Amino acid sequence: MDFGFRISPSSAVNLDNVDLEKFEELHRIEPDVYKCMACGSCSATCPAARFSGMSLRKVILALQRGKEKEALAMMKNCMLCGKCTMVCPRGINTRHLILSICRIYKEETK
Amino acid sequence: MKENIVIIGGGIAGLEAAAQLLDLGYKPIIIEKNDHLGGHVADWNKLFPDMTPANDVVSSLVARAADANIFLNTEISFVNRLNDSYNIMLSNGISIITRIILLATGFSLFDASRKEEYGYGVYDQVITNKDLEHWFNTGDDPRIGDCAMNAVGFVHCVGSRDEKARNSQCSKVCCITAVKQAIELKQMFPESMVYCFYMDLRMFGKKFEDFYISAQRDYGIRFIRGRVSEVSENIDGRVIVKAEDTLSGKPVKVTLDLLVLMAGMVCSPDSTKVANMTSLPLDSDGFLKSRDNIADIIDSPREGIFYAGACTGPKTVPETLAEARAASLKIHLYIKGLEK
Amino acid sequence: MRERFLTGYNDFVLPFVCGMLFVIIYCLAGMIRIIMQLPVQDRKKFFLSLITPKTLIKDIKDIFLKCLIHVDLWKRNKLLGYMHSSIAFGWFMLIVVGHIEVILYTSNLGAKALYYPIFFRYFVAETESTMRGSLIFFLMDFFLLVVLSGIVLAIIKRVRSRLFGMRRTTNPSFLDLVGLYSLWSIFPLRLLAESFTADISGGSFLTKSLNYVFTEFLSNHANMLPAWWAYSCALGIFFFVLPFTRYMHIPTEILLIPLRNAGIRIVNARKGLAKAQVYACPSCGVCIDACPMGVQKGNIKDTTVYLNRQIKRNNETRIEEISDKCLLCGKCTAVCPVGVEGDKLRIAQRSIRKYSYSPDYSNIDVAAEINACNNFVSGDNNNVSSIENKKVLYFAGCMTALTPAIRKTTVSILSKAGISYSMMDKDGGICCGRPIFMAGRFDQAKQLVEKNTEIIMNSGADILLLTCPICYKIFREKYTLPGIEIIHHTEFIERLISSGRIKISKDTTRYVFHDPCELGRGCGVYEQPRKVLASAGNLVEAAKNRQESICCGGSLGSLTLGFDKRRAMTENALANLVSDDPDRIVTACPLCLDTFARYSDRPVEDISQVIDRVSVPADKKRNDN
Repeated sequence: MDFGFRISPSSAVNLDNVDLEKFEELHRIEPDVYKCMACGSCSATCPAARFSGMSLRKVILALQRGKEKEALAMMKNCMLCGKCTMVCPRGINTRHLILSICRIYKEETK
Repeated sequence: MKENIVIIGGGIAGLEAAAQLLDLGYKPIIIEKNDHLGGHVADWNKLFPDMTPANDVVSSLVARAADANIFLNTEISFVNRLNDSYNIMLSNGISIITRIILLATGFSLFDASRKEEYGYGVYDQVITNKDLEHWFNTGDDPRIGDCAMNAVGFVHCVGSRDEKARNSQCSKVCCITAVKQAIELKQMFPESMVYCFYMDLRMFGKKFEDFYISAQRDYGIRFIRGRVSEVSENIDGRVIVKAEDTLSGKPVKVTLDLLVLMAGMVCSPDSTKVANMTSLPLDSDGFLKSRDNIADIIDSPREGIFYAGACTGPKTVPETLAEARAASLKIHLYIKGLEK
Repeated sequence: MRERFLTGYNDFVLPFVCGMLFVIIYCLAGMIRIIMQLPVQDRKKFFLSLITPKTLIKDIKDIFLKCLIHVDLWKRNKLLGYMHSSIAFGWFMLIVVGHIEVILYTSNLGAKALYYPIFFRYFVAETESTMRGSLIFFLMDFFLLVVLSGIVLAIIKRVRSRLFGMRRTTNPSFLDLVGLYSLWSIFPLRLLAESFTADISGGSFLTKSLNYVFTEFLSNHANMLPAWWAYSCALGIFFFVLPFTRYMHIPTEILLIPLRNAGIRIVNARKGLAKAQVYACPSCGVCIDACPMGVQKGNIKDTTVYLNRQIKRNNETRIEEISDKCLLCGKCTAVCPVGVEGDKLRIAQRSIRKYSYSPDYSNIDVAAEINACNNFVSGDNNNVSSIENKKVLYFAGCMTALTPAIRKTTVSILSKAGISYSMMDKDGGICCGRPIFMAGRFDQAKQLVEKNTEIIMNSGADILLLTCPICYKIFREKYTLPGIEIIHHTEFIERLISSGRIKISKDTTRYVFHDPCELGRGCGVYEQPRKVLASAGNLVEAAKNRQESICCGGSLGSLTLGFDKRRAMTENALANLVSDDPDRIVTACPLCLDTFARYSDRPVEDISQVIDRVSVPADKKRNDN
């Protein structure tokens, strides 16, 4: 039944409902993913940020919050250039992390 | 009392310890490689949180320690381990036999040019926290003040919390130093816009938080949570800083007249050198290893060797002074134990 | 000459004949398979190369020099070279002379042709009293001695490989050992067998003497047949195991050389040329010592020789591990005596990986980028700007953005030289595509290449200047930019100096040049940077340089090596560079600069920093003249 209005879907993240199976798989391959301290160096230096809003920091966070679609949309223009690997103060192997995300996560078909 | 006590390092830790030991009736020997006492604090202008002039602190310490045997411009050539004592050979040819060594070798400031992406040494308008204090002291630096000071940036954690810089620990005092320097600059150039680029703000000490609040409310200093990743230069010599404003999730770019890098604390090469001579171990953070990091921070694993100050890790001035006092008491008790 | 047996047959020839037929059929089938696996274009190219006299002559020359003489191994180590060529060339000559002998002395061979050349002495007694006869006897014994000396060296090498210039050798598999021992036993057994017949069928200094010395044992003809059986069995076993051991490299290399000379590249990760390379690997282990990862013992099993072994075994897990770990420095390719391209082989393995998500760059609008780079400014040296007005487009690349010293000094040099230049990626550009290409994602790399091509072609530039060898390599290999010269800054600075557009004041600083992998082995640029540095100061060389230069350890090539795992490699590379105690280490790659600077005990600089420091704009007066 449609009353002409509906309650807008909440933008809050309900951690109870987040399916983290894929993230756990990612974490198994890339234990360093938890080393991120969200300093934003990778995002600031990223050449793809200008085009698809790529921010590896946000991708990691979004995947942990179950927002896969958002994360993958950002990754669209990642060129795997390796600048993020060079600037990461925690020494995370970001290139392999990105490749692993590309292997584990799948874009929903439109 | 005839017991020789050798204090390596004439910074605030060495001076305070010497002063205390003099009061206890000993005649300690201070070995300092520079031509003046006071170490890093002597290069500083004012100290947080009460804006105490650094010079006051240093000169009162120097006065109190004046009766010690002080060797300036002197380095340690080598140390021989004898039966129950050490033979220390100095670069000026004097050798000292002692049963007690106090290491007060302090820290080194991280060499900011090693973070190449920040362009220290490449761009004229990029300086370090030490350069800024030097300018506060002397007013002598062509990079500051000659140009318009419309916008100034501070980069926290340069060479701290950074595995790429081979220094993964927090340097503890840079956050508050940046806030202090930002306020001082703002007082001098009230029209300028001052930004602090930080990863996390660690305002742990007495009245630090008040300082931070004042910087925000009274001075309008802008805090941006994001680590600077790249610095470039535009045609008129100003620097362009790129970071991510992680709170808004958007990349930010800002053009600055001056960029100050908050170089962190790393273990001084002199500490490492002396540690090698006396076969003292290094801890996993690169600083000297204490017998125990909670109970015995001023005890080295070797008999008769004690630590005071930043040679065991980044410390504030009051912490260093407190350690120096503790170390002198420990030495006093140790000597009493030897005499029994 | 007389036939000793009317039938000209004895059962002992069977092991050998079966083995030989097996190996010939196996190799022929394998060869046809590999050729059929080539893409149509490549196959055409291959056949064409076989009927082109020039390539055909090159093929034959290469096969002779590489497969028989092993010239590459001679260059590496004389003893290693002698060991290989004595066995290969000696055995080859035994076969050739054996055949000549058979042709000279027998007729109506029929099926006997299969084994007569091998067991000739058993079946035929020949005269040694003629010049011709004794010469052949002598030659056969001589080459047998040559081979035996090689076998002795091979045995010594297994125990003391350092004598042969090899620190580490490969761990042989079980079948390799079977092959190895059967190969070793073939020639002593042959000597023994022929010594039995030396008093009947004739012999020369080796076999005859042996026969005289051990006359008691060797004249007892009851022992004769077992010796010939043993000889034949050794041959048979060797041939039967050959396809499953490293000795498969012998026939495969004969195919690989013409394939390579035909200019064929690896397309499929496991088929065609890749397969030929994998099977051409002799497991010699030269790549183990060459590998920069070898400083850590745990990485030894990740060298190219083990990659080839795992590909043969289809061990997918290990193949992935080995291919992803590699720094792609290309040193194993440079030193490989048979020409296995360890780096390209690994990129090919990466390219067959399955991804469920792929980047796509079609949304990137290049119009703004074109606008930004079409902004040429002229350098401030008006004295020379009249000489040549080629417009230089400077693409600093992603890595150079993090080493601003390179960008600043390069621009300063351009300015001093009065060159009209524009920055292509002042505000961040599009990646050249090499990093993602190295990860095996070719489609994505191609898209990036297309985007950048569009920008560059519309920029109005005549020269594309690069300060990063990683970019330089892909620009040279995968970009087509008609009318635009692609140049690395080492080459460009050399040109500026030699044409007098900048003037250098030489001092006594001792410089050592580190050849970046992608610039040296990747693009073959070795001389220009050295010339430039020699004009600025005293050039000293690293212990291992040019082709043999050691990767800094910072390479983007490795996908899995973490930051902390690379330190030992960097320190090892640094130790190599400072062997002649230079004052400054100079490189020409932003990534090498960043990596070395972290651990070096002395200043590390880019070549542009050195030249910017010591150069001044060319003299006005000189140009007025």
